[in-house]
Amino acid sequence: MGLRKAEAVSPAVGIALIALAAVALPLVTRDSYYLDVATTILMNLTLTMSFRLQVSTGQINMAHISFMGIGAYASALLVTRLGWSFWATLWIGALVAALLAVPIGSVALRVSGPYYFLITFAFSEVVRLFFNNFFEGLFGGPSGLVGIPKPGRLLGLTFDGKLALYWLMAVLCVVVVVALVRLDYSRFGLTAGAIRQADLVVETLGVNVFRFKLTTFVLGSFVAGLAGVFFAHYRQVLHSSDFGLEPMVLLVVFTVIGGTGSVWGPVVGTILMTIASELLRELHHYEILVFGAVLILTMLFAPEGLVALPGAARRLVRKVRGRASEPAGVGLAP
Amino acid sequence: MLLELSSVTRRFGGLLAVVDLSMTIEPGSIHGLIGPNGAGKSTVFNLITGVVPLTAGEILFKRERISGLRPSEICRRGVARTFQATALFREYTVLQNVLIGAHLLAAPGLAPALFRSRSYRERERRARRRGRALLESLGLGAVANQVAAQLPHRDQKALALAMALATGAELVILDEPLAGLTAQERAKTIAVLRRLREQGTTVLLVEHDMKAVMGVCDTVTVLDHGVRIAEGTPREIQANPAVIEAYLGAEEPGA
Repeated sequence: MGLRKAEAVSPAVGIALIALAAVALPLVTRDSYYLDVATTILMNLTLTMSFRLQVSTGQINMAHISFMGIGAYASALLVTRLGWSFWATLWIGALVAALLAVPIGSVALRVSGPYYFLITFAFSEVVRLFFNNFFEGLFGGPSGLVGIPKPGRLLGLTFDGKLALYWLMAVLCVVVVVALVRLDYSRFGLTAGAIRQADLVVETLGVNVFRFKLTTFVLGSFVAGLAGVFFAHYRQVLHSSDFGLEPMVLLVVFTVIGGTGSVWGPVVGTILMTIASELLRELHHYEILVFGAVLILTMLFAPEGLVALPGAARRLVRKVRGRASEPAGVGLAP
Repeated sequence: MLLELSSVTRRFGGLLAVVDLSMTIEPGSIHGLIGPNGAGKSTVFNLITGVVPLTAGEILFKRERISGLRPSEICRRGVARTFQATALFREYTVLQNVLIGAHLLAAPGLAPALFRSRSYRERERRARRRGRALLESLGLGAVANQVAAQLPHRDQKALALAMALATGAELVILDEPLAGLTAQERAKTIAVLRRLREQGTTVLLVEHDMKAVMGVCDTVTVLDHGVRIAEGTPREIQANPAVIEAYLGAEEPGA
């Protein structure tokens, strides 16, 4: 039995809708542009879902994108330098991200609030500069790491076309969504939300809040690493700026616009914003200006994100109706 | 003895909040901690529950040292508390609040939550049963599905107590459980405290309602400026000249 009765969508229905949409898309169109957009949505969704997992405890991890980068570079190097198979490095890259998350999370999670924000931001810059300036022969320096091969063959299937890669990302994304939704609707999600509301109280009720936050940090980093590995072999070229401040800000915007209070927030935010980002492509770097404006408007008029709007509208309608049916002049509306 | 503080000191910068405090709490008793504002009562609670580290001294619970442990570990050993400013998960329902309290009864961690094993479900059911039973016994059964922020003050107080009890603690530490309650509601809470004692739960409480403290406590410790100035039965405390002098002025306690 779920612990989160307050949610409007049942987890099974939500997951089924996402899976259905993922399966239906290639039936509707096989245009490579649309497949590319859809693959990007799924990749972004994997990232925003894992980011939301950490935000659900009240921590904004500004280094989340760096763990995507760590997974991406780890796999790209293992495949290009050592000739390992993508199917192994997919998991190894994610594991490397998760393993590095243990010491980094252990340090960063000693503080909270703005200090945590700053520490993780500083770390993300360190990682970006490291990829950009150190071991140029290895990471490719400012010109990037190029020549990363596509995933290749598995079980008699060849993963190099747009459609095959779309399916691969769809499977990864749906697995991640199922896992994170299940967690959110369990005691784990309940505890995460309680920590966000009053972490000291949770701690005095027997939950090791530090260990809990570290668990979400490491798990989130694992998933980000997974998305990073896919990214590396999908784009076939990596630049340090792929994991810099701008994509990190977009990741925050996508997640926050959908709403972080619900596990479905990142889904709504990511789908809408990835499509918007495609429509705004011609604006180039000004795109982020538009996103900034959208973020401000969301914070002003729907601070709990787009996903909370239907509930807010329902409450408003009920309030208006309730007021209309009240006899005039009797009492004050609550 | 259940809880033993020996020579506990806590310094905040230049301020000595608690000075060389030693006290013991007998199992199955209701122990009151009183003293004027700023006497260090809440600091003592924070020291016992690990929220604030000790400057010197040590605290033993069931003869094991708990000072220096994380609050969650101290709770795990059997010490739970409420906060003076009633602290709840305001966005959650009453039942969800008490389910967090029942965390130790449930199956924590990632794997059980992901795979919903039989033991996970069984333990969650048990947590839910205990939560519901506790809510019923504290008169919150009817509001179990209400959001905590919308509860009236008395129900919020009761819920905070329910959350502490849900941990299964042997010692519950209550910071002003009667504050802001009407006479009738106070009587109810006092009855609950007596019932807890009958069931073997030990209670340590800070309270400003002297009549209630003297009526319900087995032992009372009096703090003034972080120093223990008296300890004894309510009758002894009421007759203690040092207490009357330092804490209550010329007034007689309980008057």
